Amino acid sequence: MNSETTGTSEEQGKVVRTTSAFDCGGRCPLRLKVINGEIVNIEGDDAPEPEQLRACLRCRALRKYVHHPDRLLYPLRRVGEKGKGEFERISWDEALDTIVEKLTHVKETYGNESIFMALSGGYLGALHGAGGLVKLMSLFGGYSTHYGNVSSEGAVWAVLTQYGSVMVGHSREDLMNSKLIILWGWDPARMISGTNTMYHLIKAKENGAKVICIDPRFNDSGSLLADQWIPVRPGTDAAMMVAMANVMIKENLQDQPFLDKYTVGFDKFKDYVMGDEDGVEKTPAWAAEISGVPEQVIIDLAREYAAADPGTLMDCQGPARSATGEQYIRCAMTLCAMTGNIGKAGGGAGGGLMGIPVGHMFRSSGIPPVKNPAEAGGKSVRGTLDLNLRLQKRMHTNKMFDAILKGKAGGYPADIKLAWFVANNYLNQLGNTNKNAEALKSLDFMIISELFMTPTARYADIILPVTSIAEKNDLTRPWPSGPYYTAINKAIEPLGECKSDWEIACALAEKLGVEDFNPYTESEWLKMFVELNPETGPQIKDNDKFREEGIHRVDLPEPIIAFKKEIEDPENNPFSTPSGKIEIFSQRLSDSDNPLTPPIPKYMSAKEDHTDPLTKTYPLQLLTPHPRNRIHSEMYKVDWLKETHPHTAWINPKDAAARGIKNNDEVYVFNGRGKLIIPAFVTEKIVNGVVAIFEGAWYDPDENGVCRGGCVNVLTLDEHSGGGASVLKTALVEVEPAREGE
Amino acid sequence: MQTAFYLDQTRCTGCATCQVACKDWNDLPAWTENWIRIDYIEKGVCPEVYATYMLVPCYHCIDPACVKVCPTDALIKLEENGIVVVNRELCIGREECGEKCLKVCPYDVPQFEAGENGKMRKCDFCLSRQQVGKVPICVESCPTRAMDFGPMEELEKKYGSNQTAEGFEYSERTKPAFIIKPKPVTVKV
Repeated sequence: MNSETTGTSEEQGKVVRTTSAFDCGGRCPLRLKVINGEIVNIEGDDAPEPEQLRACLRCRALRKYVHHPDRLLYPLRRVGEKGKGEFERISWDEALDTIVEKLTHVKETYGNESIFMALSGGYLGALHGAGGLVKLMSLFGGYSTHYGNVSSEGAVWAVLTQYGSVMVGHSREDLMNSKLIILWGWDPARMISGTNTMYHLIKAKENGAKVICIDPRFNDSGSLLADQWIPVRPGTDAAMMVAMANVMIKENLQDQPFLDKYTVGFDKFKDYVMGDEDGVEKTPAWAAEISGVPEQVIIDLAREYAAADPGTLMDCQGPARSATGEQYIRCAMTLCAMTGNIGKAGGGAGGGLMGIPVGHMFRSSGIPPVKNPAEAGGKSVRGTLDLNLRLQKRMHTNKMFDAILKGKAGGYPADIKLAWFVANNYLNQLGNTNKNAEALKSLDFMIISELFMTPTARYADIILPVTSIAEKNDLTRPWPSGPYYTAINKAIEPLGECKSDWEIACALAEKLGVEDFNPYTESEWLKMFVELNPETGPQIKDNDKFREEGIHRVDLPEPIIAFKKEIEDPENNPFSTPSGKIEIFSQRLSDSDNPLTPPIPKYMSAKEDHTDPLTKTYPLQLLTPHPRNRIHSEMYKVDWLKETHPHTAWINPKDAAARGIKNNDEVYVFNGRGKLIIPAFVTEKIVNGVVAIFEGAWYDPDENGVCRGGCVNVLTLDEHSGGGASVLKTALVEVEPAREGE
Repeated sequence: MQTAFYLDQTRCTGCATCQVACKDWNDLPAWTENWIRIDYIEKGVCPEVYATYMLVPCYHCIDPACVKVCPTDALIKLEENGIVVVNRELCIGREECGEKCLKVCPYDVPQFEAGENGKMRKCDFCLSRQQVGKVPICVESCPTRAMDFGPMEELEKKYGSNQTAEGFEYSERTKPAFIIKPKPVTVKV
C-alpha cells in the first residue's frame, strides 16, 4: 500500500503519491520517484485536464530540500556561544534526559507557566506536528504559549466581527462568473491561495472580466492580468475604501435593500463616512491626500464597482498584517455589502481568507487535545473579540520575545525560563529580529525541533532533528480551498536519526513516565482521523485507495458561494453574529470600548505610517511580501529555488535616483531597529516612497550588526494591532548605497 | 516533421516552475547551467507599467546555426522530429572549441557543464519523455498552462503562426520553431 511500484527491484524504483505540508496556500499532488532510498525526480498530478492540481516551483524542488546536505540528522547540544551555531552530536537518550531534567527543574523551581511552547505552521500534518507535544506538556502540568496567527489574525478577527464565520470564500471556479475582479492587495500568483487559483483567475480574465490591481506594488498577478494598476500608499487602503463608500452614498449607488435586509449599523457607518460623526466628510479628496490615489480614480472605481453585476473585491491577509490591518478588511467587507455582492455567484464577501467549507484546513482532525492546566480559571475567551481578554493568559505571538525579555514585570502572564520551538523560525519570522536574538540569549534553556540550522536554531541548547515530509505518513489539507483531501505517504526511511514531532513527544512521554500516551499505531491514528472526521468520514469510503492515490477529490455540483444560504433564506440561516446579520456596527466592540477597535470600520493612522514625524529620518515605507521561491523561511537553503528569484529590495526609480542607486547596486536598508544589505531592484512596479523586501531570507548578522542575509524582520516592529494582527507591514526605513571597502 | 514550443505570454507569471521542473527531471545543477531561462521585460512609468516574461528553452531552430558550426558534428538535428540534440561523446568542450555553438546562437541557449572544458548541454525537448508518450516536463509543470508543444503545423492550426513578442526577436537566420501568443504592450514607451 501507499505506493505504486513501477518495477520489481529497488533499482527500478517506486513512485510514491503524496503532497506537501508546508505553510503554503496550495496542496499539490506529487509523484515522487524513489530509487534506493533517494527521491530522484518529481512529477505532478496526473488527473485528466482541466482537473490537474499543478504544483509550483517549490514542490518541484522538494527533493533538494529533503536530501539537502545541510539537513540536521542527529540530536545536537550547543557547545559554543548562543547564536554562533556551534554544536556537538549527542544521542537521543542524552538529549531527552537533558530535556526531562530541565523541564522538571523549571516546573519545580518556577512553575509550569515558565515553560513556553512556541508553535507554528511549518508542518501542517494531522498527526506528526506539534499536537502530540502540547498534549504531553499539558499532561506534564501545563505551559505558557502565545496567541495570534502571524499570517492572518487581522483578517480572522475582522471576519469574525462582521460575519461570525471564517468561511468567506467562493470556490475558485466562481471567478468565471465575475465581470469585475478587484485584486486589492491579493497576489495569488505569488502566495498561491489554493492550488490553481491563479489559473482560474487567468481563465476569468479570458472570459472577459475586467481586472483592477490595487497595491503599492504592481504585483505578479496584477502585472500579468490587470487592466488598471492603482498604486496605494501602504496602510491607507481603508481611507480609499471609506471614500468609495462616500461616493456610493452621495450618488445613491449602494444596494440599500440589501443593506436593510442583511446588515446592522450601516447608518452609523454612513454617519462616519458623511462626517456627521466627527465633522470630517470622507470625500475622495480627503482619501486622495492620505492614500496618494487621485480623487478621480477613487470616484471612478467606486462607480465601477457599484455598477459591476456581479463584481468581486478580493482583499487579502497581507495588507492586514499591519498596524490597523483589520480596518482594511472590515472596510472591504462593508463595500461588498454596499454593492450587494455577498452570497452571489461572481460576487464575493471579501474578508481576505478565501476559505470554503469543503477540505478546509481548520476542519482537519488531529490528536485530541487536553486542557492546558496553566490556562485554567479566568474568564472564558471563547468567541471574544476582546484581544485584551485573550492576552490575560497568553502572550501575543509578535510579542513573545518581548515577553521572554520582560516577563511579569512587563505585564505578561509569565516569567519564561525555558522555551521549546516547534515548526517555526520565529527569530527570523517575527518583528524586530535583532531584539529577538537578545531575548533568545536571555533564556535559561531552549529546545528546538528542526530540519535545518535556522537562525532560530543557532540559539538553542538542544536541537532535535525532525523528519521531512517524505519520511512519514500523515494527512493534510489545503489551507482554505478544497474541495479535496490529501494524504502524505512515506517515500523514504527517516534520514539519520530524525524523528517526527509526534515521535519525539512519544519518546519524551516514555521518559516522563506518562503511561498509555500513544495507544495507537500511525496507520490506526490516520485511519481514525479519516473515519471520525465529519467531512471525510462520509466521503472517503475506501481508506486504502485514498492513501494509495494520495488524494480524494470532491465533485461539487456547482461552485461554493460564501453565505449563499444566509442570503437566500435569511429566516432559517442567520449569520453567526450576535445580531444574526452582517455587523457593520458591532455591539460587542462597542461594549469592549477599545479605541483601537471601533465598533464601525474606520480608517485610522498609526505609528510608522506615512504621517509619522519619523518620516523625516526614515522616509520610506517598508513592505514585506511573501517570497515566491520559498515558503516564508522554509526551503531557503535550496539553491534551485534561490537562483530563480534573487533576493532584492524593490525600489522606484525616483527614490533610487534621489539616492544615487542603480539597478543591482548593493544597498543598506535601515532604521532604528536594524540594518541589512541587499541588491536593489529598481523597478516601476513599485510606487515611489515604498520599499519591498520579501520575507523569509535568513538572518545573518555580521560583526557590525548588519544582516548580510537580508532578513527583513530586522526592520519590522514587534507589535500587534487592536484586533491582533502582527504588525509586519508598517515600518519606516531609509535606503542608501552600500559602498563597502571604499 | 518539426516539433515546436508554444508560449502564451498572456498566461506566463514568470514563476519559474518550468525551470525548476526541468532541473529536477534533467538533474541539473543550480547557478551554472539552465536549460530553460526566463527573461524579464518591463516598460512604462508607474502607474502605467507593462511587464512580461519570455521563456528561453532551446527553440530547436529549423535552420540551426549551432549544428552548422560545430567542428565535430556533435550537434545533430533529428530528421524525424526536428529536435536538435547533442552527442556529448563528440563534443570537445567549451575551451577547446571556443564556444562556437553559443556564439552563433541568437538566443544564448547552449550551456556547458561546470568545470574545466565543460561539454555542451541544452534542452533536448525531453526526448526521452516524448519517446514514452509523455509531455516535456516544462509544459506539463506549468501551473497556468502557458506552454504547449507539438508538430509546428498543428500548433499553427491551434494558435496561429505569430513568431514575435516582447522579449523575443524572430531570427531569419536560424528560424526558431516557436509560436507565441504575445502580451501586447499597453503603455506608452
